[in-house]
Amino acid sequence: MSVKKISRFGLLTAIALILFIVELRIPNLVPIPGVKLGLANIVTIFALYRYKPSETGLILTARILLGSMFSGNMSSMIYSISGAVLCFIGMIFLCKIVPEKYMWISSILGAVLHNIGQTIAAIILMGTFSVIAYLPFLMISGCIAGLFTGLCATFLTSRLKIK
Amino acid sequence: MKDKKTIIILLSIIAVIVIGSVIGIFYVSRPSESNTVEIVSNGKVVKTLNLSTEKNNSFEVENNGKINVVEIKNGKIRVKSADCPDKVCVDSGWLKSSDLPIVCLPNKLIIRFTKNSDDIDSVSK
Repeated sequence: MSVKKISRFGLLTAIALILFIVELRIPNLVPIPGVKLGLANIVTIFALYRYKPSETGLILTARILLGSMFSGNMSSMIYSISGAVLCFIGMIFLCKIVPEKYMWISSILGAVLHNIGQTIAAIILMGTFSVIAYLPFLMISGCIAGLFTGLCATFLTSRLKIK
Repeated sequence: MKDKKTIIILLSIIAVIVIGSVIGIFYVSRPSESNTVEIVSNGKVVKTLNLSTEKNNSFEVENNGKINVVEIKNGKIRVKSADCPDKVCVDSGWLKSSDLPIVCLPNKLIIRFTKNSDDIDSVSK
């Protein structure tokens, strides 16, 4: 990995972390566990379309680990990780078949996959299936949040010409 | 051309997800017919209450040193206060829907209606 790339990934991780921390300040709009805008994923989507999946994975891992440490909420990390893993696998496939112009489509589906991963983690951790009742709420919010972050990433890539 | 087809397929998947979720939301939000409430902490049922006979009171549910204060008032139940970081459980308010529990993810607490209220009543009698 060249120095140029290392510094670029470091910068992207830093931007993702800033977005993550800014988002922590936004109060919960709805009292539903797990609902989030996921602004930091603008960086993830951008990276997926510009760099190799393994490189995006590095940025994502660094962001989740550092983000959980900064927010002081380690118990929520397991939900982030399980959501991110499922979402990441799906997105690697999706960003191959969906052209860059339609990033928001893969972003929406990625967000829904993230919500499914979160719910699976919640079922295992809470030891009950009753949390699955929140999945439809999460998927609707995921569609909205995914559309928003996807469109942000689309505007970003259309303006950033660097490779 | 191939791209267009993929996009139409993916958009219809999204449409199905959205429609399915809306139906799901209406399904889980039905008001509960049962009066029996179960408090689950860390995967185990710690308390079963009949809201129609329970007096107004509040009590603490503890799991690994983390505490949620549960309040019962006029036959309704809610989390009054909690030491979790997000306070989603407190913001959820009173428990209303049959399938939608009050959940506190950080403290591993669930408050939900149980389906077979008659069975529990007959046992407790």
